[in-house]
Amino acid sequence: MSYRLTQNEADAVFAELLKKFDIYAPHRHVCAGRYSDDDIVKYDKVESLSDVEYKKKSDYPMKEVISPIQQALFYFTEDEYRESKVSSRPILIFARPCDINAQKIQARIYAGNGGFTDSYYERMKDRVKYILMDCEGGDDNCFCVSMHTNKTDNYSLAVKFHEDGSLFVKVKDQDFDNYFQEIKEIEFEPEFVNKNELKVTVPVIKDHETLNKLKAHPMWNEFNSRCISCGACTIACSTCTCFTTKDIIYGDNPEVGERRRIESSCQVDGYTTVAGGISYRKTAGEKMRFKMLHKFHDYKERFVDSDMCVGCGRCTARCPQFISITTTLDKMSKAIEEIEKGEV
Amino acid sequence: MNQDINIKTLQKNCFRQSKVPGVFLLQMRVPGGYVSAEMLEIVKHISETWGDGNFHFGTRQTFDVCGIKYQDVPAVNEYLEKYIKSVEEDVCGVDMDLIAGEKVGWNPKAGYPTIGARNITACIGNYHCVCGNVNTFELARKIEGIIFPSHYHIKINISGCPNDCNKAHLCDFGIIGVAEMEYHPDRCIGCGLCARTCEKGSTRVLTLNEETGKIEKDTCCCVGCGECARVCPASAWTRKEEKYYRVIIGGRTGRQTPRTGKMFLNWASEDVVLSVLKNWQNFSAWVMNYKPEYLHGGHLIDRAGYKKFKEIMLEGVKLNPECLVAEDIYWHETEYRSNFNVKPLSLHHTAGPQDKK
Amino acid sequence: MENIVQPKPYKISEVRHETDLEYTFRFDTDIKVNHGQFLMLSIPKIGEVPISVSDQGDGWLEFTIRKVGKVTNVIFEKVAGDVMFLRGPYGNGWPMDKFQGKHLIVIAGGTGVSPVRSTLNFCARNEGFVKDVSLICGFKGCNCILFKSDLEKWQNNFKHTWLCLDNEDKEGFCRGFVTNYIKELPLNEYEDNYEIIVVGPPVMMKYVGLELIKNGFSEEKIWMSFERKMSCGVGKCGHCRIDEYYVCTDGPVFPYKIAKNLVD
Ligand SMILES: Cc1cc2nc3c(=O)[nH]c(=O)nc-3n(C[C@H](O)[C@H](O)[C@H](O)COP(=O)(O)OP(=O)(O)OC[C@H]3O[C@@H](n4cnc5c(N)ncnc54)[C@H](O)[C@@H]3O)c2cc1C
Ligand code: SF4
Ligand code: SF4
Ligand code: SF4
Ligand code: SF4
Ligand code: SF4
Ligand code: FES
Repeated sequence: MSYRLTQNEADAVFAELLKKFDIYAPHRHVCAGRYSDDDIVKYDKVESLSDVEYKKKSDYPMKEVISPIQQALFYFTEDEYRESKVSSRPILIFARPCDINAQKIQARIYAGNGGFTDSYYERMKDRVKYILMDCEGGDDNCFCVSMHTNKTDNYSLAVKFHEDGSLFVKVKDQDFDNYFQEIKEIEFEPEFVNKNELKVTVPVIKDHETLNKLKAHPMWNEFNSRCISCGACTIACSTCTCFTTKDIIYGDNPEVGERRRIESSCQVDGYTTVAGGISYRKTAGEKMRFKMLHKFHDYKERFVDSDMCVGCGRCTARCPQFISITTTLDKMSKAIEEIEKGEV
Repeated sequence: MNQDINIKTLQKNCFRQSKVPGVFLLQMRVPGGYVSAEMLEIVKHISETWGDGNFHFGTRQTFDVCGIKYQDVPAVNEYLEKYIKSVEEDVCGVDMDLIAGEKVGWNPKAGYPTIGARNITACIGNYHCVCGNVNTFELARKIEGIIFPSHYHIKINISGCPNDCNKAHLCDFGIIGVAEMEYHPDRCIGCGLCARTCEKGSTRVLTLNEETGKIEKDTCCCVGCGECARVCPASAWTRKEEKYYRVIIGGRTGRQTPRTGKMFLNWASEDVVLSVLKNWQNFSAWVMNYKPEYLHGGHLIDRAGYKKFKEIMLEGVKLNPECLVAEDIYWHETEYRSNFNVKPLSLHHTAGPQDKK
Repeated sequence: MENIVQPKPYKISEVRHETDLEYTFRFDTDIKVNHGQFLMLSIPKIGEVPISVSDQGDGWLEFTIRKVGKVTNVIFEKVAGDVMFLRGPYGNGWPMDKFQGKHLIVIAGGTGVSPVRSTLNFCARNEGFVKDVSLICGFKGCNCILFKSDLEKWQNNFKHTWLCLDNEDKEGFCRGFVTNYIKELPLNEYEDNYEIIVVGPPVMMKYVGLELIKNGFSEEKIWMSFERKMSCGVGKCGHCRIDEYYVCTDGPVFPYKIAKNLVD
């Protein structure tokens, strides 16, 4: 069932939803960008519909709600590790199709990979329902259509914001019917983007020999001088899951502390460093190669169903060195062609 | 060439004497060094009609047109009306009828009324630059009406960030955009890039605490450059939305005692900077016994002494809570002749109202 | 739902000093492990490290730990009676079912002897599980020798044993790298019915692999145990991944066919 809500009606429904749900949405932080006077859009708990930034694709991904940049795993005293607690309130998240689809990709790792399911991921994910946002074409970094992540039916409500403040809503999950009882039904179906300006083809790496030749290909050297290994691309990535575990002591009481999970990045120095200072990928080029191959080969090799990328383009958008993931992917395709022709 | 020319009057009219008798250079103000490219048409017209067909970027970011003949000055002045109205009145909101705040009345056909308060220069600032913390030319435009037109001289340079590309340290009143940084430990992944960047390119006030995986800051000495926010991959450092400024005073070049300026205010809000500058005319007037001389601001500070300067400049100013004010200033001058300042009492400059003899 | 990263307290029952830098810690625990698996050892406020089980028995596990950094430094302060936190076991361990009834060849270097010690002791204790054992075991120098009493036992129990020191002389030890002794392995004697364990530092494993192939051993029968940076041990954090493999869950033991292609 679908409705068109006036601004007042929409606000009222939102207020009702707040009574039951924690609601998260992209939110504009004025002047909090990398450069002065630029804004940042990132996910936050919101208190009203006007807090929702629906026009600009968020700079940081929706995953931050479910697997935050950092979280406490355990609190400890000398003789006990006590699991951290979270609220059990259900969560509603305003999200675009790419962000919703990214969760399928993350879940394969958090829930099930290697035979283990992460309870910290599960306890958040189980609380979440989605409000699908119409993304009206995204921006010029989007390539979700190429990655087949432009559509989803994993949502409870679908909304489209209208310039005049009214809101189109489709209720797909009948748990939400009662919020709209007084309101007249109309025809409304969420629309999905079916064409991005940007198109990519993920190359096929046919065997291990090709893979290892690609790893040794000179194409990666370019990044030794271009990429600064800052990790902004993976922090902004909708699908990246890597983290590090760290014990910290509270400054004022060294007897107690916590074990935290903190997002980490294969691009940053130290990611592979083991005792004695040995690390397995030292150069920016090697790290870039590792990231690209995880995204567009290794993940699929393991989980079969998809690559580890939803084409949200946030990595490209956040890279301070203007390294475009799609251009890099094209370079990879070209390198594979050269390898197959026996040119390198 | 036999012409009787009052070059003092012409100078106040922004025409500068050249080596060739009767030939002048016009200086057109460009507050903040930033104007619509349309204005180049005017520069072009003046240069091609009355000048030598070229123009020079004045060292204070003016459009300088050379080769203007004395007899053409009235025609040039008349033509300048369009430029002055557009740049000074429309863009900067300057009331051209006031001189140092007093109603005098401006004849729009007569060109610039004063050369005093030299053109405010600025780097491009955060309008374009990845390092900039403030919009420099917008600030220049706000200041323009406070200090111009006036027969009191002040050189103001604005830099968008503590890198100070525009040399706020080498003018009477230098203004540097500084950012108050906010740290969001919940977003910090402990990569240490901000600390390495601060160490390499700034003040070495950040350290990564290995125990907590978080950044610690020696707040005393952060210059507010914003480099940490620029490099952080996770937006764990952000600039506060409010803009702050550092004010450097008393810097100068020159034949006698060049020196870099010293910090007068730090973390001043825009309101504070503007209201301090509103006291500039009073301060200058007081020092020079209410008789404008062609003397730059730094020298006036020397004559009055910093404490007096501070007293007059802060009169009626409501400082924002973050704002710090220099208690005293210790200058480091280059005295081109040793003991340059040691001289008979009779040669000492005076400051402030002088009793009628 | 079960929290897969929850550490639980266990008591240390014995600490043995192998060398100045390597101690063996015995824990009272009924955690059951496969040979070659590892556990995550925790000290609150300091951190967590993956450590291989170096021996096991009824109600106990042993870990042989090298003091190299933050966590291991603090572990070295622990004495019998102290409590530490464990979780696991993790990883696949050695394919013992494949080894059963065959000639087992073990080539181990340095601390790499730890992850294979429980297997060696198991073979020594359970005669007949494998046909026989050929062991090439190398250490850097005299003061790096681990498991001295085990070495003696192995020398007596196993059919062929080469104990080597890289560049020092000592009675009962040959001189040189383990790779030097691969050609002495009696390939014919094994009649194609053998499996090989290789474990040690990455470079050592690489050259041992190449040397084995050169000497006619079949790559299908070689098994190697990997070590990579680990933060979770359960296939979540990503640090240990190489290509599509997670060392913590798919390894640490890999068949040579996979191992030789893994480029970090
Ligand atoms: C599967 C496996 C089995 C291992 N078995 C043993 C063993 O039986 N005996 C033994 O002495 N050592 C073993 N190690 C190595 C041991 O884990 C490291 O020496 C230890 O983590 C160093 O921690 P540290 O805090 O003392 O050193 P630091 O250099 O301070 O290390 C800091 C952190 O980095 C990580 N780290 C550092 N080195 C390694 C490493 N080599 N492997 C994985 N993570 C690392 C850990 O998270 C550690 O807490 C094993 C490693 C792996 C992966
Ligand atoms: S990637 Fe696709 S779904 Fe995501 S914002 Fe862009 S166009 Fe929309
Ligand atoms: S690709 Fe760009 S964002 Fe990613 S690590 Fe390199 S420089 Fe940073
Ligand atoms: S790799 Fe880039 S485009 Fe793909 S999901 Fe991550 S951020 Fe989006
Ligand atoms: S690309 Fe790098 S940071 Fe992202 S999931 Fe893969 S290994 Fe982790
Ligand atoms: S650069 Fe950002 S994420 Fe890295 S340590 Fe500094 S604040 Fe933390
Ligand atoms: S150790 Fe975390 S994925 Fe392997």
